[in-house]
This record gives sequence, C-alpha cells and structure tokens, in this order.
Amino acid sequence: MPIVTSLLDGLRRVVRAPLILVGAAMLTLLLAVPLGLLLRGELLRALGESVVADAMADGVAWDWWQQFSSQATGLARSFTVSVIGFAAVLVNLSALLDGDGQQPVIVAVVVGYLVVWTVFSGGVLDRYARNRATRSAGFFSACGLYGSRLLRLAIMAGLTYGFLFGVVHGWLFDDLYEGMTRNVTVERQAFAVRAALYLVFGLLLVAVSLVFDYARVRAVVEDRRSMLGALVAGWRFVRRRPGMCAGLYLANGLVLLAVMASYALLAPGAGSTGPSLWLAFLTGQAYVMARLASKLLFYAAEIAYFQSQLAHAGYVAAPAPVWPESPAVEALGRLG
Amino acid sequence: MHSQTRGLIAVAGLAVCAGLWLTPTGAARQPQTPVADAPPAAVDAIPDDARSPRNANYSIDVRLDPDTRTLTGRAVLTWRNIATVAAPDLRFHLYYNAWRNSRSTWMRERELGRGPGLASRPEADWGWIEVTAVRLLGDAGAQDLTDRLRFISPDDNNPDDRTVLSVPMPTAVAPGDTVNIEIEWSSRVPRTFARTGAIGDFFFIAQWFPKIGVLEDTGWNCHQFHASTEFFSDYGVYDVRITVPTGWVLGATGIREQPRDNTDGTTTHRYVQEDVHDFAWTTSPDFLDLSERFEVAGLPPVEMRLLLQPEHAGQAGRHFGATRATLQHYGQWFGPYPYEQITIIDPAWQSGAGGMEYPTLFTAGARWLAPSDVSQPEGVTMHEAGHQFWYGVVGNNEFEHAWLDEGLNTFSTARALAASFTPNHIARRYFGGFYPFVFRDIAWSRATDGNRLAGYRTAARMDAQQTPTYRYWPGTASAITYNKTALWLHTLERHLGWDQVREILSVFYERWQFRHPRPEDFFAVANEVSGRDLSWYFDQVHGGTQTFDYAVQQVSSRGLRDRGFIDGDREPAFRDPIDDRGLTRTTVTVRRLGDGIFPVDVLVVFDDGETVRERWDGREPWRVFTYERAARAVRVEVDPDRVLLLDVDYANNSWTAAPRAGAAATKWMLRWMVWLQDLMLTYAFLV
Repeated sequence: MPIVTSLLDGLRRVVRAPLILVGAAMLTLLLAVPLGLLLRGELLRALGESVVADAMADGVAWDWWQQFSSQATGLARSFTVSVIGFAAVLVNLSALLDGDGQQPVIVAVVVGYLVVWTVFSGGVLDRYARNRATRSAGFFSACGLYGSRLLRLAIMAGLTYGFLFGVVHGWLFDDLYEGMTRNVTVERQAFAVRAALYLVFGLLLVAVSLVFDYARVRAVVEDRRSMLGALVAGWRFVRRRPGMCAGLYLANGLVLLAVMASYALLAPGAGSTGPSLWLAFLTGQAYVMARLASKLLFYAAEIAYFQSQLAHAGYVAAPAPVWPESPAVEALGRLG
Repeated sequence: MHSQTRGLIAVAGLAVCAGLWLTPTGAARQPQTPVADAPPAAVDAIPDDARSPRNANYSIDVRLDPDTRTLTGRAVLTWRNIATVAAPDLRFHLYYNAWRNSRSTWMRERELGRGPGLASRPEADWGWIEVTAVRLLGDAGAQDLTDRLRFISPDDNNPDDRTVLSVPMPTAVAPGDTVNIEIEWSSRVPRTFARTGAIGDFFFIAQWFPKIGVLEDTGWNCHQFHASTEFFSDYGVYDVRITVPTGWVLGATGIREQPRDNTDGTTTHRYVQEDVHDFAWTTSPDFLDLSERFEVAGLPPVEMRLLLQPEHAGQAGRHFGATRATLQHYGQWFGPYPYEQITIIDPAWQSGAGGMEYPTLFTAGARWLAPSDVSQPEGVTMHEAGHQFWYGVVGNNEFEHAWLDEGLNTFSTARALAASFTPNHIARRYFGGFYPFVFRDIAWSRATDGNRLAGYRTAARMDAQQTPTYRYWPGTASAITYNKTALWLHTLERHLGWDQVREILSVFYERWQFRHPRPEDFFAVANEVSGRDLSWYFDQVHGGTQTFDYAVQQVSSRGLRDRGFIDGDREPAFRDPIDDRGLTRTTVTVRRLGDGIFPVDVLVVFDDGETVRERWDGREPWRVFTYERAARAVRVEVDPDRVLLLDVDYANNSWTAAPRAGAAATKWMLRWMVWLQDLMLTYAFLV
C-alpha cells in the first residue's frame, strides 16, 4: 500500500470520527483551564487596580512583565514573553530538543496529560482500526480494555526516552557538541553542527517513536496482552518495511510541519482585549485542533498501513467491546 | 603621529646585551626570542600643547607566536612622578596573572559571584605573565632591578595573587622626577577569561604588558585585578611595534605606520598614539579590513576602521552606522572625539572578547542571524564607542568608581540609541541560543530597557554606590555600576531637563578630559551647572542603598455624609447630612514605601474630565489629598510622568476606578493556555 494511499485512508478514518478530535481537543483544553485560572489569579493580583493593567490589556507592559517575572514563583515563572504568538511553538520545540527543564507544576500537568492520553489512545486506536462507529460505549470500553496495556507500553517508552534524554542527549549536546565546537570561531559552523546533532537526536526520537507506534497498533489491532511482545512485534514490523514505515512517518511529519508553518503565519501577537481577544484564542485553539488532527493522522495512517500489510481493513482481533448493562437493568432482567 | 611628537621621541641609546635576558621567577619559562637587539626608544619629553600629562609613556616591541600563544615583549617606560609624594617603589599591574591559577583574587571573586565554572578549564586555557628583567636606565648605564621584584596584594593580602608587582627603587623617585625603566617579559595568552585572549587564529590582546599604576598624592593606586572591575592608568604616549605572521591583519590603539616585513615570515606593525592611558591590539588572518570616514559639520573628521568577521560581512554598515551615530551624538552633546581614528573590532564567535573598550579601539559583538529591527550589533557598538568619551577621554578610576564611566556611558548609550535606531524590538533566541525570534509587539524603551531597570530592581540594595567598586558584591556589581547610574542620571534628566543635564555632562567632559576625576568632581560640576545643591539626591543614589517606591495606598470618592451638631440660631442643631449640595469627597492617600526620598507629582483625574496635579515633596511616609467637588475621582497617579525612574515598583503608582486587570489577566491567561496546550502536544508527540 503506497504511502499516499495509507495517508489518505488514515485521513478518512480521522474525518469519519470527528468526535475523537473534538474530545482530544477538549481534553487538552480542560487540562489547561485550571492552571490558566490559577495564573489569571496571580496576574490579577499583580495588576490590581493599577493603570498598568491598561497597557497589559491593550498590548504589552514590558517593564511590568519583567518585574512580575523577577518576583514570580512556581507556575507564574512559566509566564514568559515566549507565550506570545508563534514563539510559544518555538520555545517548546526548542526546549524539547535542548532538553530544557520546566517548572515542576508544568511537568506534573504534562505527565498527567500523557497518562490520560495513553489511556484515551486505546479507544482512538480501536476506533480507527475498526473503521466504523463504535459509539461512546465501545470507545470508552476500549479505553478501559487497552488502557492498562498501553500504560505498560508507555512505561517502556518512558524508560527509552529517559535514556535518550538523560544519557544520549547529554552525550550529544554536552559532550560531543561542546567538544566539536569549543574552538569554532564561526557561528554558522557551530549552528550547522548543532543542527546536525538535532537531526541525529531527532532521528533517534523518530525511530523510537516509530517502533512504539506500531507496538501500540499491534497491541490494539491484534489484541495483544503482552506489551513486550507487542514491542517486539512492532520492531519486527518496522524492520521488515523500513522504507514504507519511515516514508509514512515522514509524510505525517510533513503534515505536522505544514500545520506549524500555517500557525507561524497566522499566530496572533500580544493583541488587545474585546473581540480580537477571542478571535486570537479561537485561532490558537484551531491550531491546537489541527495539531491534534495531525497526531491522530499518525495513528490512523499507521493503522491503515498495518492492516493493509498484515490484516485487512477493519480487522481487529478483539471482539467489539460490549458495555455492560446498568445494575438496574440487570436486576430487572433477573426479575423476568 | 603628530610631527611635533615625533621630534620629542628620543632614543635612549642604551645597548643591552643579548645575554642579559634573565631567568623568570615562578612558573616554567617559555623559550625566549628577543624581539629587538636594542631596547626600544624611550619617550622622554612633553610638548607644551600636550592634551594630557603624558607621565606614563611606553615604547614597546612585542612578538606573538601564535602556535604557542606566547608573547615576548620588551618595553621602555618613561614615567614622571606627577604626585606630591616620592615613590620609593614602582608598581605594575600584571593582569594576565589573574588567570595563572584558581587562587588569584580574580578567580576567587569570580567564583563567589558566578560559581566555579572557569576553574575547571583545561590547562591550555590558562595564561600568565612573567617579568624576566627590569632595569633602571640612566646616564651611567642600566641598573638591574630584577632581584628586587616582589608581588604584593594591597587589597586583600592574598599571598597567591600575582597581579601587582612592586619594584623597589634604588632611590625614591621624587615629585617631578622622571625615570626610564626597561622591562622584559613573556606571557602566555589565555583562552579568553575577561575579554582578552585567543581562540583559534583570533587574538585579542589587552592588559597584556606590565602597566604602571597611578601614583596619587596619597600613594600608589595600583589595585589587584578584581573580577567585577576594570582598569586605571595614567595618560601617555604609546609607540608599539608588534610582530605577527605575515598576512595577518592587525588592528591596534593608535595610528598605523607602514608595516615592515621581516625575513622570518613575520611582519612588524607599528602603532603610535598620544594621550591615551592604555593600548590594546588584535590580530587574525580572517578579518575583513574596511574603512569609512566620519564627517559631520561642527565635529572633527574621524577615520573609522572596521575589522570584521567574514560571516558578518553584511553587517558592516550597521557597525559603521552605530559608530557614526555615537561620534555624532556624543560629540554634539558632550564634546568632540579628540583622536583622528577609531578602530572597531568584530570579535570571533566564542572569543569572549566582545563588548570591551580601549583607547581608540573597541570590540563590538555581532551575531550571524541579526534581525534588522533588533539593536544587535548597534547597542554594544554604541556602548563601546561611547566609552571613548567616558573612560577614554575622561579617565576615571574604574577600580574604585566604575560608575563614572560605565554608568554615564550606559545612560548616554541609551539616549543615543533611542535617537538613532527605530524601531527597536525585543528578541529571544531559541535552539541553543542561535535562532532569534523578534517580538514586534514589544518596543525597546530607553527609560527602562536602555537604563536596565529590570536588573537594578532586584539588586537595588546590594551595595551603596560609593563603596569602592572592587568591593561590591561580585554578583550584582554591574547592576549598581551600570544600571543604577543610568537610572539616576535619566531621573535627573527628567527632573532638571535635558538641557541642564547635557550641560553638566558637557562641562564635566571638557573639564576632566585627559584627567582622573573622582565622584565629588562630578557632583561639584552638577551643582555648579544646575545652580542647585543636589547633594540631597547624590547622597541617596550614590551615598546609600535607599530604594525609591511611591504608591497610591487608597482612594475613595463618596457623597458627603457629614453628620452632627452645627451651630443653629439659638443652640447647636443636629444635621443629617450637614451639607447636601450633592458634593463628593475624594480622599487620596499616597505613600512612600521606600526609604529614598524624591519629590513627586500626584495626578488626580475626575469623571468630569478635570485634572488636579499636586506636588508632594515625598518626605513623609504618607500624605492625604482631599477634594470636595461634584465629580468623582477616576484615576490617580503618583509620579505620572515617571520622572523617578529609580522607583522599583511602578505598578503600585496608580489607581483607576475602572481597572482592566481582569481583562488583561484573561487575555494573557488565554495566550498562556495555548502555550501550555502546545507544550502538552509537543511531548505527546512521543507517545
């Protein structure tokens, strides 16, 4: 099955299940809202009844912001100028590649999100694999069915990424990069070295991500109980079709890049309040949805490709999960 | 070089046998290569129209071996005692010894302020200087003083510090007397520690020769090298011959003479400059060597030479433009640049040599990716070019009163930058600090960004500015030196007006050029020119650690509700309310939260559009203003024009009846949430 066919098949599966995308977006938003409200409270206290608030409402009061940052602790320390516009995307990608740390409360939220996402992804993969409506009962049943398995797989993934970020990243960027550039006197040469190391590290991330992606696919599609077995199966699948798997991943990656590039053009700046505030927020949420859609497209396209190779479209080993009747209905049944 | 001075340079004529090269003290000696057969000519006379005292004149031959990163030098110092006390010894700075080992005062202070990072550097990074011979030249010949040399540590008695060398004299040098001292030395150029050193084929050589201290009426002012301070020297004439590999581009303090190619694959470059107090140079085979001429009506022309890194070839215009703007603005505001040339060095990446000033030469600092609406390289170029005025021409003691040049210059740079470059935005660099992202919503502000308020705010109480700079806490020394001065000068500008402050600086520049002013000299000029006694201000901003913080404590606007007995026709009658003319009583309470005192205005705006501006001397801890009128207060501001830029919390200076904090907080919450969602999705990419 060619890359484009898998991609289009995956796209169809994503489009046919819009509620998954909406649900994923709501999940992301709902996790962000409580922390957002906490931050809002801190900003509100700091601005008080000052006319400086006017400047922050109409644009940026840069001096006040610097003062706020110098006194900020915890969550408020993450309120940096990099939240404005496309810088928000750049700073996150940069932090990922450079191994920069985050505030503990932010780390906790991200870890929580990843756990919830992992459980959620069981239902998502199952829905895309069946390629038909499973309704909410089936979806959440699949979440429950595969959740613990995928969490076990996520622990293995976490250990692998931990090794990559904890050991390999340090070796690449602290030792190798420093050694290669210590005596470099031309900045663009140093940047070229760093870019090359980003590429190496990025390829390692992609390779691990690719194997774990297919491990997840096989865990769900083939109803595997052993996640170690699923990981080996995922690895075997990728190893036997490296060109196609990498090509499909690259195609998905290009879609993601297109989403990010579009946001680079459309991302709102500091802006003002009133209608433009909500327009900016909606633009941001549209970007988040597009980015989530591209993430889901990864799943769907990989499932489509896997099924085209080792099964048939819509094949799932596990029977369709059946949501149990409520205790009241069961009790009524027993009466009869 | 002026022809008149040429005639005043006489040859000492004292031959020195090659066998006189002496064994160095202390560390392992490097192979010696004599740089000349005879000692350099000495500068021994002063013309009547000399701009400076010219009491410390150097004639130097130096050779650089790039492979071993060694300098071998030989100098004749002609020094005249212009103090009122005799000098039983001569004292020399040996700055390179700051990086001899981790026991030096410089390294210890650096660790105190910024941690131990530098001490872990590899062996090849360290540098040192060894004086191998010192001779007193006289009519009867040369008297060897080498055995008398000893290291002293006048600031902290650190026995391991070797940055000050004392040379006891056979006979004390009496006031007005002149001595010729021949010095030979060798040194290893460090990997840059404090903006002097080498990386690859790029050499920036500063503080590189044994440099005599300043003898004052109270004795020697020759401090050890400290981590957070710079330098102090007397003015003189420098005639320096530098030998480097042929084909390498060389730039230095002073005017270029014709270079001479040697038979050993080297070239000797000669630079001469009068009336400067230091000499620095740079060399590299990679420099692009560019020139432009500064010509502005009313100011003397200046030859601008730019030694540029090839990867910054497209930024030549930005360097010249910034230097031109500095020469013009500083020249028109304070006084003309007195030299015929200025050399701009664009240092190699990672050289650590950027942003440093030396007489007629300075290092800037460009980046490969340099957005046009962000002031890099302009900001640093203008700051260092500005030091030609504050530091170069007005030569204060940077060990003790660094604010006199750094602070005045930070203030001046911000003013000149604001006058020259717009728009100017804030940027952040991502991906290892390489990729710049420009925030076009945020305009650079002279008042707060140029004067560096954010850095001062957190360090405001760390040290009193009148403390000798080398005794500041190393971690916050720059905030007290640069930021605080710029802020109090700009505050003074807003308080007195630019014309008066410009006049103060102009008179100070004119009166103290080629001399060594002290803080009291600046304050005296300020009082004299302004016609006011400003000591109340200087005592606070220079003499103490006071912080300034004025605030609106509370505002209330209520209908008149006065009740009670008032005089009736026959007896007191109870009235409720006493006055029902529909008036509103507005009570504004303003408070001084800091211990610094400064007169401020208080602006009250009423809902009928009327405004009232009060003057408060700011002395009491609080003050209440009361108004009875038909309108309610809708806005109150203390210091509404933001005269007092030293106010560490300007957010509490205002109150509004219709605060928009809620709207602002919601706006930024929503922006921040998108960032957080993107962060979650970035990491979700991995699962």
